[in-house]
Amino acid sequence: MKILTCPMNGPRNINEFQNFGPLKANPDPDATSDQDWARHLFRADNSRGTLVEWWRHVPSNYFFLAERNATTNEVIRTFDPSELEQM
Amino acid sequence: MIAVGGMNYDKAMKAGVELPIRCYPLQAMVTQPLKPWLHTLVSSVSLHTNLVQSSRGEIVIGGGSDPYQLYSTRSTLDMKEHLAEGAVHLIPFLHGVRLLRQWAGTTDMTADYSPIMGASPLSNLWLDCGWGTWGFKATPVADKYMAQTIANQKVAPILEPFTMERFATFDLLNEMGATAASH
Repeated sequence: MKILTCPMNGPRNINEFQNFGPLKANPDPDATSDQDWARHLFRADNSRGTLVEWWRHVPSNYFFLAERNATTNEVIRTFDPSELEQM
Repeated sequence: MIAVGGMNYDKAMKAGVELPIRCYPLQAMVTQPLKPWLHTLVSSVSLHTNLVQSSRGEIVIGGGSDPYQLYSTRSTLDMKEHLAEGAVHLIPFLHGVRLLRQWAGTTDMTADYSPIMGASPLSNLWLDCGWGTWGFKATPVADKYMAQTIANQKVAPILEPFTMERFATFDLLNEMGATAASH
């Protein structure tokens, strides 16, 4: 069983978590063209390098972020969304 | 034509075409060979498991793709346990049958789990991508129409709903043709 370290709950089995896909920018719906909005909805980072992605610890309903290598599956770090403002 | 399974995203990017695809591993495994007894494909959406007996007698067990995107094709113990549990739920007498092999491949998933077929933004570059977990089952007939498309330089009418443009126009498909997949 793979272990993922939740920033709030510590190391837990991976099957306690749900993946919510790569982090995306938050475009302003009023200022974004339909084309760009469709791209925002349906396209996401599919690179082979390091992804920054949303995860949820299901039993505690806590959302956080992880940096994970999309080729080796190595989790580089996990962090609370409040750190996004400092990125 | 770009039709290279789990490599479609990379291949299209080389032509400057960004496909709305994310790559996930899909795992399967086979048991030791048994005498022929299973003459149909058994699939359970609630167990996310499907079984079919190959012409060599092996029971091929498959299911949904892995729960997050990844380019690694290592198989995992989690999925082995999950598929074995589903198989034994469906057909209890398989409990003593041994597994021979387990493997993984890369599947290219679109937002509506349906393939992208037809024209690309570039002239004379055709797409047959995003087949996700069901390409092997559907490709023979799909490519009959892709061949027609290329020969006529015009997308075959039956393929028109599968255009890449459907994401920009919010005409997503509700095909859901995959067996036992995670949707």
